[in-house]
Amino acid sequence: MPALEPVDGLRVVATPAALDGARWEGADVDVLRIAPDEALGIGATGVEVDDADAIVEPEAGFAVALLGPEYVSLGAHTDWPIPDEPGALAQGKIAGVPAKVLVGDPTLLVVQTAYVDELRERLGW
Amino acid sequence: MTDAPADVGGRIVVDGRPIEFANGDSVAVAILRAGEVPAHGGCLCLAGDCGNCLAEVDGVAYVRTCQVVARPGTAVERHPLAAKPELPTTDLRDLTRFPIATAVTVRRVEAPLAVVGREPSTRGAVVLDAQVGEEVVGVYPGPSIVARELLGMLHLRAEEVVIATGTTEIQPVCPGSDLAGILTPRAAERLTEARVDLGRVARVGRELVRFDGDDRGHVTAVVTRDADGTDVATPCDTAVVDLGRAPRDVLARMTPGDVVRVVGSAAEEHPLPSAPTVPNAVVCPCMGTTVGDLAIAWDKGYQDLELLKRASWAGLGPCQGGACLPHLRSWIAARTGGPPPDPFTARPAARQITLAEAAADVAIDAFRRTPLHDEHLALGARMDRFGGWWRPWHYGDAVAEYWAVREGVSIGDVSTLGKLVVSGPDVVEALERIYPCHVADIKPGRSRYALLLNERGHVMDDGMILRDAETRFTLTFTSGGAANAEMWLRDWIETWGLRVHVMDRTMSLAAINVTGPFAKRLLARLGLEEAPRFLGHVRAEIAGVPCHVMRLSFTGETAFELHHPLDGSVGLWRALMDRGRDLGIRPHGLQALFGLRLEKGHVIVGMDTELDTTPRRLGMDWAVRMEKPAFIGRASLERTAKLPETRRWFGFSMDGQAPTEGSPIRSVENGEIIGNVTGSWTSPLLGKALMLGWQRRTPFADKVEIDGRQAVVTPTPFYDPEGHRARA
Repeated sequence: MPALEPVDGLRVVATPAALDGARWEGADVDVLRIAPDEALGIGATGVEVDDADAIVEPEAGFAVALLGPEYVSLGAHTDWPIPDEPGALAQGKIAGVPAKVLVGDPTLLVVQTAYVDELRERLGW
Repeated sequence: MTDAPADVGGRIVVDGRPIEFANGDSVAVAILRAGEVPAHGGCLCLAGDCGNCLAEVDGVAYVRTCQVVARPGTAVERHPLAAKPELPTTDLRDLTRFPIATAVTVRRVEAPLAVVGREPSTRGAVVLDAQVGEEVVGVYPGPSIVARELLGMLHLRAEEVVIATGTTEIQPVCPGSDLAGILTPRAAERLTEARVDLGRVARVGRELVRFDGDDRGHVTAVVTRDADGTDVATPCDTAVVDLGRAPRDVLARMTPGDVVRVVGSAAEEHPLPSAPTVPNAVVCPCMGTTVGDLAIAWDKGYQDLELLKRASWAGLGPCQGGACLPHLRSWIAARTGGPPPDPFTARPAARQITLAEAAADVAIDAFRRTPLHDEHLALGARMDRFGGWWRPWHYGDAVAEYWAVREGVSIGDVSTLGKLVVSGPDVVEALERIYPCHVADIKPGRSRYALLLNERGHVMDDGMILRDAETRFTLTFTSGGAANAEMWLRDWIETWGLRVHVMDRTMSLAAINVTGPFAKRLLARLGLEEAPRFLGHVRAEIAGVPCHVMRLSFTGETAFELHHPLDGSVGLWRALMDRGRDLGIRPHGLQALFGLRLEKGHVIVGMDTELDTTPRRLGMDWAVRMEKPAFIGRASLERTAKLPETRRWFGFSMDGQAPTEGSPIRSVENGEIIGNVTGSWTSPLLGKALMLGWQRRTPFADKVEIDGRQAVVTPTPFYDPEGHRARA
């Protein structure tokens, strides 16, 4: 069964333009643009954004599972289409639990740690 | 209609008696082959359109037996003739014996085009055909289709839906139309193909006057009328009635719109039958509505098809108007002398489904767990769902937890509190508009309690405003109200076009409340060299964990909330428990916390409040600064302040044990219910029952009756009214 493990990173709320031009520091940073004015940099250790009022906070509230092509099977637990384009980010409920899917190689299933146990139980992981 | 099946497939059991069936028989055909009827009479279509073959099959009521393939052992129970089938019952005294439902699986499919029925010109589409066991339950906005398959349910999402369901056959409405032995032409054809002996067959069309029957309720003759007005009876064992066809459009009527197309004969207009005239003739076999019932409803003023449907119940039954709709339209046209009305709408389940099928793959709300969940379990906590989270209700002894707070030190998991960070050049302006208290004068490092009001001045939530810097604040909210509060803030900030960033940290930070007379001493041991004064807040490392330390109090004692990163939470909790051992530390759960707050008279929004609770009704005018020129809810509060007070939240006390929360509050004069208890606690310290609750009658009483005892209105806080202990 895939492992859902807590991850560290940075969460940034800033103007959309500032986020577009953000420079993330860290190895293998996966950036999830979860809203026009908000981004989650998984694995990020630093970030430069051109917004004096940006909110930048360390983030340890998410867990990630790395999935191969079998990620499409998550569609059995959603009432929204699971994307297939690399780089696509989808957000919605999986088996009734709020989650995010970032398509890639591997594909990231991202869920807030408060929901991890619930999602594991519902997916039978 | 009796015949031995040529190719015996096995036996089904009907009302406890075995009946042989031939391979390929539906349950209805097998029963007809045995010379019986699947239900109690009425014209059979054997196409799933009428409700005249409904029975209980394998424990499921209202099943169209013509649509179920007979299998060895299939158990059929006819529904009662003049009553509803009984619901499955259970012994409610022993819920552990409640029958466990079988989970129904769901297959999800997406397609550019879905066709319901047979439409030969639509290649590449997903085709749902009832004849191969795909029974469409409904077509919904989206569009999406829910269908019952052989192995479960199908949830199909399509960009376009084509309904090509063809036509139904019009049912007779005349005296005797509820007799057994009456078939539509297609049904007769099916039975003939299945080599079921129909006996003497009389075919009849629009010249039909009535059916005659015998004592068993079976048709014996078809009566027609000659040109000279003479009734002619044609003896028969089976009557086949051809009254024309009507569109099979129940699914189309369910979801109108551009993305749902009806094609073929389902989209065509077909001649309506003659308007039924005989008062005791049954128009709606499902509901038993007669022509006379229609007339009564019409004469009462229900002179519209939708109204007539609701008033007479015609069309409300399992077949959704499949049998009665053409007759109703014809009957209304005859009454008004105008064109027939458009068909009525269809409810969103064209087929009766079980609760398990309806609920298949529906997920209940997910309840969140704090990073301390396992710590609570290890400490023997009884966990409960509260405000969208799993939270410890108590750790085995709520009173001991209470005393630890009042006399020693205790810790509680408050990670569930809503936490927002707001920042930007317009942040003070935004918060001044949103909150009814002053914000601009909160200095960095200080905080203020605040209510959150809606435009009507009703209390939505409450929490703290903590100023981190000139243009940056931390806001806290209740656990259950956090998500709504966040949306509220974002919505207003965007509406006003203010330059404010909002970050929700509710699930990114954990929080532990350290409270009690020894709280400060415990935190000093773990590195808090200079504790903030009351309503102050600082950043500090506690046991090596970076914390935002907030000095406030919900318990009435000295209290510090330590907001910290999730990954430091278990370590911090254990360090507090470890270093607080000699101080008598205990964790406290919600039960003790609710008692502690009740003694202080603190409100819990959502538990004590109603949807239209104002600060005045709570006695919390002090939290509203009407001298501010503008804030959300101000205009309403100004207006309603001039109105007489009709409700107020009070404290009550009485001897003895606390009553159940929610208990009615009664007038001592006449016993009338004048309010209810919202919070209740037997105070270990004060030795009596303390309550918070509403009085909804004026003049407000000083004495009331709760739980059969006299209680007196008592000013709050019940405990430490000057607040010395929280500030100590």
